[in-house]
Formats: sequence, structure tokens, C-alpha cells
Amino acid sequence: MGDPRVTLKSPLFPVVWALGSAALAYLLMGETEMSVLQVGIWAILLAEASLVSLPASSGNRLSLAFAVSAALPFVLIAGDAVDLAAAGAAASMGLLGTWMFRTLRSDPSEEVMAAVLRHGFGVASYLVVFAGIVAMADALGVPAGDSDWVHLIAFAVAASLWFLIETSLWAFMVFGRNRLSRRYLWLLAAKDWAVVLSLLTTGALFGFAWGALGLWAIIIAGIPYGFAHLAFYRSQESRRTYGQTIRALSRIPEVAGLSPKGHSDRTSGMAIEVGQDLGMTPDEVTDLQYSALMHDIGRITLNEPSILKMGFTDEDIARWGAEIVAEAPYLSHVATLVRQQHQPYRRPGEERDLELPMASKIIKATSAYDHATMELGFSPLEALEVLHRGAAYDFDPDVVQAVRRVLERRQIVPA
Amino acid sequence: MHGARKRKIQIATLYAALGLSVLALLIWRQAFPPVTLWVAFAAAFAFFDWRSVEVNDRMLMSPTVMVALTAAVAFGPGKAALGVAAMAALGAFSSDDVRQRRWFQPIANFGQMVVTAGVSVFVLEWFLVRALASTGDTFWLWIAGGSAVVATIYGLINYTFVTVAVRAVFEKRDLRPWSNLGQLLPSYLLMGFVGGLLGATYTILPVVLPLVFVMFMVGYLSFASYGQLREAHEATLRGFIKALEAKDLYTRGHTERVAYFAQLVGEEMGFNGTRLERLRWAALIHDVGKLAVPRDLIRKKGKLTQDEYEELQVHAHVVEEILAEVEFLRPMVEIASSHHSHFDGGGYGGVGHTHGERPSPEACILAVADAFDAMTSTRSYRMALSQDYAFSELRRNAGTQFDPDVVEALARALSRSSERYGSPHLASEEEARRLAEGTQVTSHG
Repeated sequence: MGDPRVTLKSPLFPVVWALGSAALAYLLMGETEMSVLQVGIWAILLAEASLVSLPASSGNRLSLAFAVSAALPFVLIAGDAVDLAAAGAAASMGLLGTWMFRTLRSDPSEEVMAAVLRHGFGVASYLVVFAGIVAMADALGVPAGDSDWVHLIAFAVAASLWFLIETSLWAFMVFGRNRLSRRYLWLLAAKDWAVVLSLLTTGALFGFAWGALGLWAIIIAGIPYGFAHLAFYRSQESRRTYGQTIRALSRIPEVAGLSPKGHSDRTSGMAIEVGQDLGMTPDEVTDLQYSALMHDIGRITLNEPSILKMGFTDEDIARWGAEIVAEAPYLSHVATLVRQQHQPYRRPGEERDLELPMASKIIKATSAYDHATMELGFSPLEALEVLHRGAAYDFDPDVVQAVRRVLERRQIVPA
Repeated sequence: MHGARKRKIQIATLYAALGLSVLALLIWRQAFPPVTLWVAFAAAFAFFDWRSVEVNDRMLMSPTVMVALTAAVAFGPGKAALGVAAMAALGAFSSDDVRQRRWFQPIANFGQMVVTAGVSVFVLEWFLVRALASTGDTFWLWIAGGSAVVATIYGLINYTFVTVAVRAVFEKRDLRPWSNLGQLLPSYLLMGFVGGLLGATYTILPVVLPLVFVMFMVGYLSFASYGQLREAHEATLRGFIKALEAKDLYTRGHTERVAYFAQLVGEEMGFNGTRLERLRWAALIHDVGKLAVPRDLIRKKGKLTQDEYEELQVHAHVVEEILAEVEFLRPMVEIASSHHSHFDGGGYGGVGHTHGERPSPEACILAVADAFDAMTSTRSYRMALSQDYAFSELRRNAGTQFDPDVVEALARALSRSSERYGSPHLASEEEARRLAEGTQVTSHG
């Protein structure tokens, strides 16, 4: 799936910048008991930590800096709540360090800048909310013996808020060329909760243990972090394996010369964009991608001479394809989508078929578009016209509209 | 079958008796830990135990050892062994067993888990008493050392119980993966070690308990992800095999049999672990290239023409083209694409094949397994030949087309397991072809 990219064109960018800077400035105003050296050490630690990253299911990489930031208030609050301001300074310096480092490695700097602002804003709100809850507990006269519980509650509240801010900012700041739906992006970012939870909890555990246990805290928080690290790398690998397998399967009819080269790749590429345009969820888009890649797999049956003699319909190919796909248990719902790819969305004299999955309708339209442009030699506008003309029964008008929008965005047809 | 049932009853009785006596002994000697705390840990223990993940062939793992050791340290000496043994007793009975009406599994598990938990935590208590008598780093060293030692004991007892039960009840050779103790122990050790330390952290800072449960979850994720990855690999292979079978009924079974023969020879030649698995997987994908070869060519009766032969050769490269992108299959593709290479460097093949050079041992094994199955199974153009005939053919071409060591290894493995393939008597190619023609004629008529 094409990773959504952040660009500076987003109108929200300056707003986030302003809010982030304001939050940091507010933090820096306070008096601090920390020495410059201490602030510097934290900054370096954060910068280093942000180089160790975990792959999350959204395609983002989340770094160990989350864990270090989560531990910050625990370690610093032992002295004075005011030290949180210094922590804010350390966080901003560390993140700035990351930015400089990554830019030197020639990452697209806008994207990194956006990430730095997002994390900076997130960390700043985490620290402010944490300090706020601790101060509130003081004001309410919670006994000193319960301070650990106050910290736990402060952590839970502030961390949830932090996650919410991160995901929302990410969803709103991504403005790719494809104008992805906000719902899609937010759900995609929210899928990272498991990685974020393990990072933040490791940080909090370290924070609690550091005061009471000293260096043993590193082992106690470090080994579980190792588990998490391995787990998320393996999950990434299995996601990649599924993707590669399906791509390889989709290529079989093409290698055998039974379907045109690149057809399933192009169809799925367009289907993804149409699905995102229509506001499908990330899971639905993944299923759509898989079924679009494999929609022609039934064609491998076609070099059976007896079948060629008997003749076959598109319906048959869809059915054979679904039978092959259904053999893999993890693809059973993809098989359903493949089976229904040739059904019209409406039959003469009937209401539209509400049971028909959106993904099947998308495959029907995008596959027909690719067939028209690549094999029948139609121009994109003519091909779009074919879809419009078929919108009475074959192609769902909503899908055809979405195809048009995708083509306009790709600047293939004039807007 | 009757014998197996009898042995099952014997094992279940023995294990249950052992479990019950350990439990009785602990109830007599120890106090029960605080109920709320016990319920929290017991719930976590059962939760993870019921969700064990298959990380290797029939090897189930879950972070229960971590939960057990954390709970043990949290309960403290004098209560720990009873508390953890009671948790284990509860964890043995899962809803799956009830639904599938299994009786042996839960009873044997009950005994196994109670004894494992009771005995190992009892040892841990010895360390705990010493830890509690000291302060500072010494405290942590006792805890860390104790939990590492106890995790090893936990793993060993558990392993012994499972091995004894499996040997006694199933007597199957394909349960060997359990012998990979070297793979199991490090993960027990690491989990137990962390578990002990987390428990000690709880005794100092009770507030971390919710975080400790999240850490259990993280430990579980690391197994779950391993299981997922394994599943992804398996599903990949299955997908290709099914696609292949959909195309050609004659291939059905061929792939699985070749994989089985390759595995037999691999084991005979001392392959194990990853190398054996790779060989098996290479065998499973060795015919994927056929997907792109016209079906009438695969089923062609009689000799192939030069053109047709060349077209067939292409399939060695097609394997590579189709599978190039699937990263984890790359080493296997190399083996699979050279399964038509000859021992003396002749034949044809893809990247794994260099003309004039001896192919890899894996490719030699695959070549023999493929040829053996081709001769001993019925094809469109001839009936299955006898096993003796197949071996005489393999031996005749040993040293040129086939690796003589591999041929002998297959003969040894098959004679040991006293399996026989192919027709009992058919020992001539011509005869087999003529018979196949005959059946064709009758089926037309």
C-alpha cells in the first residue's frame, strides 16, 4: 500500500507548529533545578532513542523515544514538578537533534519536520497533563503515601491523551496527492495502539523502578522491550510475507500468458485509491487490495484444452478463482470478494443489490477500466465513458464517480 | 488402537495422582496467598495458557512461566508454591477441551502443570528466603539467580512430562521437534528471569501491578507474532500447492509425497532444524513452475520433441520468476529450480544450477525424491512401476544423474519404516505404458 506522505501543503501545519511552540515555550518559562548538563544528557538520550524504532501496522515507525519520554516525568518529578519544564526543553532538544540527524541522512525533511512537531506537541501535552494531575492531587490534599498511585493515574490519563493527539495530528497532517479520507487515516494510525502501549508501559515501568531500584530498572524494563521489539518486527515480516505471496500468486496467470501482463497490479493500484476515496477502513482496503490482485487467478485453469473447447464465462473465471483463493484459510473473505467480482450491482427491474460488497463492485469497475485502456486501446476519457454507460446495471454509479475523482487527482482526465 | 487407549489411561492416572499428591502436600504445609492477588494472577495464567501459540511443529509456548514466577515472588515464601500450583491446576482445564470432549489432555496437563509449578516454585522459595534476608544489590542477585535457575527447572520438568506422555501414548517419530530442548530452554530462562524481577518490583512498589500485566501481554505478543509468521509461511506454501493442484490433478499428492521422501532422506543424512525444514519447503514448491507450462505438455504421452523438451525446461526459470519476490522462499527457490540438475553437472536448472558443477546436496535429494515418486505413481502415460524397479533405475543412473549416497539413504529409510510404494510387480516401462494405453481405450469405450 502506498504510504501516505506528509507535505507542507497541509493548512494545519502552521497551526500545529504554533501550538507546539507555544506549549514548549510555556514549559520553558518555569524555573528549573536541573543543570544544563542534565538537560543535555536527556536530550542526547532522546536523540539516540529515536534512532531505535519499531515498525507498526500502519507503516509508521515508532521509536524508543516514546519510552524515554514516557519515563521522563517519573524520573524528574522526584525533585520538583518544575523540573518538568526542563524535561520539555530536553524533549524539544532531543527531537531537534533527531531532526538534524535524519535530515543529514537525506530523509524528506518536510516529513521529518512534521513528525518532530507532532511528537514535540504530543510529549509536551503528556508532560503538562501529567504535571497538572500531580499538582491537582497536591491541591486536593492526597497523602504523600499515595503519590505512586497518583503517578499511575497521571500516567494513564496523560498517555491516552498523548496517543489521541498523535493519531489525530497524523491523520490531519497527511495530505498526499491522493486526498485520503480522514477516517481511513485515523483508523490506520489508531491500529498502532499495541506498539504505543508497549513502548509507553516500558517507559513507565522504568520510571517507577528507577527511583526504587536504580540500575536494575534497566534490566526490568529492557528485556520486555526486547520482547516487544522482536514481536513487532516479526509481525511486520508476516504482513510482508502475505503481501509478497499474494503478489506472486497474482503473477501466475500473467507468466503463463493467460492474462495481460501487469493487469492485476494496475487494477489493484487503482482499486486501493478508489476504496480510500470511498472511505473504506484500512482492513477493508487490505482485503480489497488482495482480492484485486487475485481477481484473475481463476485464469490458470484456462490452459486446459477441454475447457477452452467447452467455452467459459467471466462468471466461471470468478468462481474458479474463488475456489483457489478459498484454499488459504486466512483469505476466506477475500474469496467471497473474488467470487462476486462480476455481478452487476443491479438487475433489470430490481432494486440495487445491497448484499454485494463494495470491494467486488470496485474490482469490477477498475478491472474494466484497465481492460479498456490497455487492451482495447481506449483513451482514459473513452474508458470512463464506458463505465458511465454501464452504470445502469454493471457498474455502481458511486464507484464510477470515485474512479473519475481518482483519475482527476492523477491528472489523467481534466477536472 | 486399544493399546494406545490403555496407555493413555495409565499416563493420565499416574499424572493425576502425582498432581493431586503435590497439591495435597502443599495444602497441608502452606498458607493460601491473599485471594484478590491470587485471582488476578490466576486469571492471567489461565488467559495465556489457553492461548498458547504453536511456535514450532506441535510445540506450544505461552508466557505462563513468566506469570508463574512473578506470582511466586509476589506471594512470598510460605504461600508461593501452593498459590502457583493452584493457578496451574485451574489453567489445565480449558473450554476447548470441554467442547471437544477430550479427557486425556486436561487430566495429563493437570498433573504435569501442578507438579511443574509446585516443585519449581518450592525451589524458588529457598532463594526467596535468602533474598528477603538481604538488602540492596544482594537482594536483587538472589532474586535474579533464583528465577533463572527455577525457570530452567520449570522448563526441564515440563519437558520431561510431555516427552514421557508423547512417547508412551503416540510412539510417533514425527514428534521429534520436542527434542529441541536447546530451543526451548533459553526462552524459558529469559521469561522466568523477567518474571522473577517483575515480582520483586511488585513487592517493593505494589503500584506497578497494572504495568506488570501489560508486560505479560507484551511477552505473549512476542510468541503470537512468531506463530503468525509461521502461519504466514505455511499459508504461502499451501496457496501455491493448491493453485498447482487446481491446474493438474496428476500433481495432486505428488508434491506432498516428494516432500515426504525428501524429508526421509534428509533425516537419514543427518539434516535437522532449519535445514530440514528448508528442504521440505523446497520440495513443496519444486513444481510451481509447471503452473506456467501448458497442461497438455505435462500430460503428454510418449516422448517429447526437442521443442517441447525446451519448453518444459523453461519451467525451472518460471519458478524463479513467480517466486522472486517472496523473500523467505529465496533459499528454497534455488534448491527447487535445480531439481533437474544431474549429479555429474548435466541436466538443466535455474540459478541453483551451473553446468558442469555438482548441485547442492539438497538439490540432489530433491532430484531423487522427484524421480522416485514419478516412477512409483501412476501418470497419464503409464501405470505405476514397482519399488524394486524404481530402485534399480535409480542405482543404474547413480553417479551420473543421481547422487549414489542419496539413493542409498532413501533405500535405507524406506526399508527401516517398511513402507512400500508403487505397484507390487510391474517392472517394465513398456508394459506400464501399454497398460496405461489399455485403460485409456476402455475408458473411451
